[in-house]
Amino acid sequence: MAERREYYQNEDDEVEEDEEDSGGDYKISGRDSLVFLVDASKEMFIKGEDGEPSNFDMTMQCVRSVYTSKIISSDKDLVALVFYGTEQSKNPRNSFKHVYVYHDLDSPGSQCILDIDKLLGEKGAQFAEKTMGSGETSLGDALWCCSNLYSDIKLRLSHKRLMIFTCRDEHHGGDGAKDRQARTKAADLKETGVVIDLMHLTKPGGFDVSLFFCDIVSPPEDESELGLQIEPCRKLEDLQKRVRAKELKKRSQSRLTFSLGEGVNLAVGVYVLARTATKPSAVKLHRDTNEPVRTKTRYFHAHNGGILLPNDMKRAQVYGKKQIVMEKDEVDEIKKFDDPGLVLMGFKPMDRLKLHHHIRPALFIYPEEEQISGSSCMFTALLLNCSEKNLFALCRYIPRRNTPPRFVALVPQREELDQSQTQATPPGFHVIFLPFADDIRTVDAHVGPTASDEQVDKMKEIVHKLRFKYKSDAFENPVLQQHYRNLEALALNMLEPEPIEDLTMPKVQMMDARLGPLAQEFKDLVYPPDYNPEGKPAAKRKTAESGGGAAEKKAKVEMSEEELKNHVAKCTLGKLTVPVLKDACKQFGIRTTGTKKQELIDALTMHLSK
Amino acid sequence: MCFHLFLSFILQSALVLCMDVGFSMSNSEPGQEPSFEQAKKVIQKFVQRQVFAENKDEVGLVLFGTDGTKNGLAEDGQYENITVHRRLMMPDFELLEEIESKLQPGGQQADWLDALVVCMDLLQEETMGKKFERLNIVLLTDLNVQTSADQLDVIIDSLKKARITLQFFLPFPVDGEDRADGGGDGPGPSAAPVRPGKGLSRQQTQGLEMVKNIMTSLEEEDGLEEVYTFSDALQKLSIFKRIDRRPMAWPCHLTIGSSLTIRIVGYKAVTEEKVKKSWAIVEAQSHQRDDVKRETVYCLDDDNETEVQKDDTIQGFRYGSDIVPFSKVDEDQMKYKSDGKCFSVLGFTKQELIRRHQFMGSQVVKVFAARDDEHAAVALSALIRALDSLKMAAIVRYAYDRRSNPQVGAAFPCIKEKYECLLYVQLPFMEDLRQFTFPVLENNKKFKPSESQLSAVDALIDSMMLVEKDEDGESVDVFKVNHIPNPQFQRLFQCLHHRGVNPDDPLPPVEPWLKRDLERPQAVSARCQTPLQDVKTKFPLKVVVKKKEQKTSADRGGFDNRCFVTLTACQQLTHRIEQLLGNRSPEYYMKSIACIQAFRDQSVSSGNAELFNSYMQSLKRSVPDRNLQELWDLLIQGKEQSVCYYEEVQAAPVQEDTGDVDDLVSVSCLFGCFNDKHIIYYICECNSDLQVY
Repeated sequence: MAERREYYQNEDDEVEEDEEDSGGDYKISGRDSLVFLVDASKEMFIKGEDGEPSNFDMTMQCVRSVYTSKIISSDKDLVALVFYGTEQSKNPRNSFKHVYVYHDLDSPGSQCILDIDKLLGEKGAQFAEKTMGSGETSLGDALWCCSNLYSDIKLRLSHKRLMIFTCRDEHHGGDGAKDRQARTKAADLKETGVVIDLMHLTKPGGFDVSLFFCDIVSPPEDESELGLQIEPCRKLEDLQKRVRAKELKKRSQSRLTFSLGEGVNLAVGVYVLARTATKPSAVKLHRDTNEPVRTKTRYFHAHNGGILLPNDMKRAQVYGKKQIVMEKDEVDEIKKFDDPGLVLMGFKPMDRLKLHHHIRPALFIYPEEEQISGSSCMFTALLLNCSEKNLFALCRYIPRRNTPPRFVALVPQREELDQSQTQATPPGFHVIFLPFADDIRTVDAHVGPTASDEQVDKMKEIVHKLRFKYKSDAFENPVLQQHYRNLEALALNMLEPEPIEDLTMPKVQMMDARLGPLAQEFKDLVYPPDYNPEGKPAAKRKTAESGGGAAEKKAKVEMSEEELKNHVAKCTLGKLTVPVLKDACKQFGIRTTGTKKQELIDALTMHLSK
Repeated sequence: MCFHLFLSFILQSALVLCMDVGFSMSNSEPGQEPSFEQAKKVIQKFVQRQVFAENKDEVGLVLFGTDGTKNGLAEDGQYENITVHRRLMMPDFELLEEIESKLQPGGQQADWLDALVVCMDLLQEETMGKKFERLNIVLLTDLNVQTSADQLDVIIDSLKKARITLQFFLPFPVDGEDRADGGGDGPGPSAAPVRPGKGLSRQQTQGLEMVKNIMTSLEEEDGLEEVYTFSDALQKLSIFKRIDRRPMAWPCHLTIGSSLTIRIVGYKAVTEEKVKKSWAIVEAQSHQRDDVKRETVYCLDDDNETEVQKDDTIQGFRYGSDIVPFSKVDEDQMKYKSDGKCFSVLGFTKQELIRRHQFMGSQVVKVFAARDDEHAAVALSALIRALDSLKMAAIVRYAYDRRSNPQVGAAFPCIKEKYECLLYVQLPFMEDLRQFTFPVLENNKKFKPSESQLSAVDALIDSMMLVEKDEDGESVDVFKVNHIPNPQFQRLFQCLHHRGVNPDDPLPPVEPWLKRDLERPQAVSARCQTPLQDVKTKFPLKVVVKKKEQKTSADRGGFDNRCFVTLTACQQLTHRIEQLLGNRSPEYYMKSIACIQAFRDQSVSSGNAELFNSYMQSLKRSVPDRNLQELWDLLIQGKEQSVCYYEEVQAAPVQEDTGDVDDLVSVSCLFGCFNDKHIIYYICECNSDLQVY
């Protein structure tokens, strides 16, 4: 019942530990921040041909989507929206002319979304004209203003990024002093660790980055990367993609040594490229004031009421009547087999990696030159060789201290580019978790008659009619979407949440239309006329697996003390179901603190062996 | 009454361990462990696992070759030297202790067929009127005794009738042939290295024939797969295979469009097995759980930490920077509702478009046609075969039941020699994916490996292949992860067992064989020595001496844990200071100063002054804005008592501020010395008052 488990993830210690890895980053290394610095000059508001949205409109749509995604995925990140080249000025000390701070650096909330909505579309352009207008441009002042936004922040910032959106490759009409000032301010910002990106938009006659902006933006991450996209963004999707690729700081979950054998060690960063996004946990609020409420947990001695420090407590498990006690440290130590790291066992052909050997989402590794120099070269050599020979590397993997080992397959991944030459899949190794013997269940296969060629061919036609190109980002999670729409509705005082489109539902009508008579033809081939697959299965279904489910629930058992004592003596209480145990506890007036099975058993054992 | 009781039982298995303790079992060739010891270990390990995994299966223990006789069939000199040591019961700690201390080699020999009959009798008698899912007898013997085969057919017949399955564990393999792995699904037996048939006594050869006879008549061609060697059993989980509880059946309908429906049943085939039992907290002296009371209180985030009753709290969710009150009732009413279990095809796609590394979730479900429904079987078979020949997969919406979240996943065709099924795996939602861009590796001049480097790695890979060709040219996987039991469980059970028997001993070291299981196979290790040396000389790998500020959270995984502790502590401290400063009154100032001092000590002890310095700079800057002059004066007042200041802290980045920041040292005298642990503890756990010092 893994499905139900998902809801109660927090009950599972191990899952919690994992969660700590992703969420914990913020607490430890500070927050990410992102400033959108948007050109508000007249040129930005010119509409494209055929009624295409203006560059300004496109930028705002893009900014809005970043805001909403931040709210959902990383609500602690700070975002600011600043316009420059405006007529009006609005900034903290109003010391800069023609710079309009629309949103100060802060974690985005519902009001921010509403504010941005005002700037969208035709009406948005009018609203912008009215509130900000277009005026003189000084990028230097704008950058200076942004640098003040950063320094006013009391929080520790881990990653600082500034994105300039403009369609003008030349800003100051040949005013060399202003150009110089902009360069100086950009240099200052970069000095303090701010990464400056240019999101340049279409300009009639082409956008020439080398005119001015090449001195403003940060140098590319590595020399081979083209850093400045030669082509400006034409379409919203392109812009969104480009922004999204930059907007998220990649964080390694951990950095580990990857040992090939005696003394040959490289360093790798471990990354999570896919992780099940879950509903965030609820926050407790005070009923009267809606203030957040914290919980404090204390342990104290039941008899003398003294506070118990960690040293005053031990850990215990009970088996039958035997209690086994250990120190907390010992409990941790049991899980320790070796230091964290990846240790190479050997190599296997890719076809030895079975499709059904799957227990967890994969991780990704990439070399860490900053830890061990030479790692990247060695890593690349391994990657090229494995990929050429179609092999995977088998490794023993220990992610953290006091964590038992797992075996993983390192599957080589060469870099893949999409049509617009942006990276679609990064180069590195995918880390696929392999199951141990315990993780593989014994399943008694159902063996039945197989289909004839004619039947298979008919199904092939059906498959052919319903084929589509699967894309991993094509499906939104309806549960999460609904949750956030609900919150949005409550936060923004909407009458009801915006409806979601549930992409996980089959488009039945369309499928039926595409299939036409094929479905019936197939049924005629495989099912006899009187067969109804939707009907209740035959009564004899009651085999071992399904045995007694319904009746069990109804079975209200009054058990005699004798019987129970017998169970206690034989240690077979565990075989009784929780409802039966609960009834038994009630029957003897035993008060139990919990409802976990073991607690009930312990309570009964204690009572009856007196 | 009886009827009700029976229904409240979970269906389970019963198993009788039947071990030969006769004198031949104690013989051994020099340097080898006697069969008796090996068999005892197998039993011990099995029972250990049953006990600590709290398995509900019932286990009995029958010994033969014992000096005494104790069984229900013994009469007139028949069935002698066979002892029913324990009737069917859930294995408990007592049984473990008994095996350890009382299971001794006997001085007699007994017919293993007789022992088998005693076991059958025991099973039948004990399971009368109860329902068991599986009945199994495990025989551990060296077959070195004269047996009378005249009853063999009767025995086989009654085994079949009672649906009792058998497993044999012998010191030698059943035959020399390499039994190929049975499809790669389960932990199957592997070829044993011991020489077959060589050096067997006449009785053993004869016994082996009888074993083959029984096993093949019980299970036809697969029968011999249930004959293991002792060493097999120690490494793998062979005994468990037989009595494994089968995963729950999940009946559902596979639908394609509105009118095409196939009745199916799903089983969870692969999923991560976790440690089930959690640790309770007990008082250190009394070892009593009741002596520890846990109290959780709710309090406001104000300075008095005003307590709030649980009933006065409601739930809310963060929406960006806002917290939206959203009661459980409203949430339930407004949340996404699925319309129950389903397995609906959304469409079909090329298998190559589904990337292995994008598999999500924690399980693989095998989907079969409903049992005993041949029409469903044909329909599903058509789908499986069509997909297989087109190299396509179905993309489906999967919902386990009404209460569970729907998933999108892929159903792949899987055609085995004996059966066909679909393999279902969850795929990601858009929200699950993170688009990270990484710098280019391959065409990066800086990292491009040279031809000689590439060939060195090439040679290393060749020397480390884990798949080898055997004499017949078949490739053999020498390191099958799916045959290795999870060492975590074995280690936990070993420690529990040890502590249970010896409460005052320290924990034992990891068992050597368990460690060995996790190492590179020896042959591979030996083979790769030279190529590895070559790689070592061709690739300069140098640990970069890290500058302090580079340490971040990510390092705690492998490199530095200490820094993590410090950073969190500092974070908590600054948070606390900021909290205290919100309240401008002298008593709070003293607490703030205590915190600042603690912060400074932390910084000094971790050799990382930047955090502290930059915080102090910003605090100083904020003095006018926040009206904190009084506090600042207090901090500076202590200047006269100044103690030696550490170099790191002096290396403050902004020169003109150094003087003031320097003054802070003074306060250390007021508060004496702090212990790091205490600071952290009190700030996390009590959070109310710092005067506890």
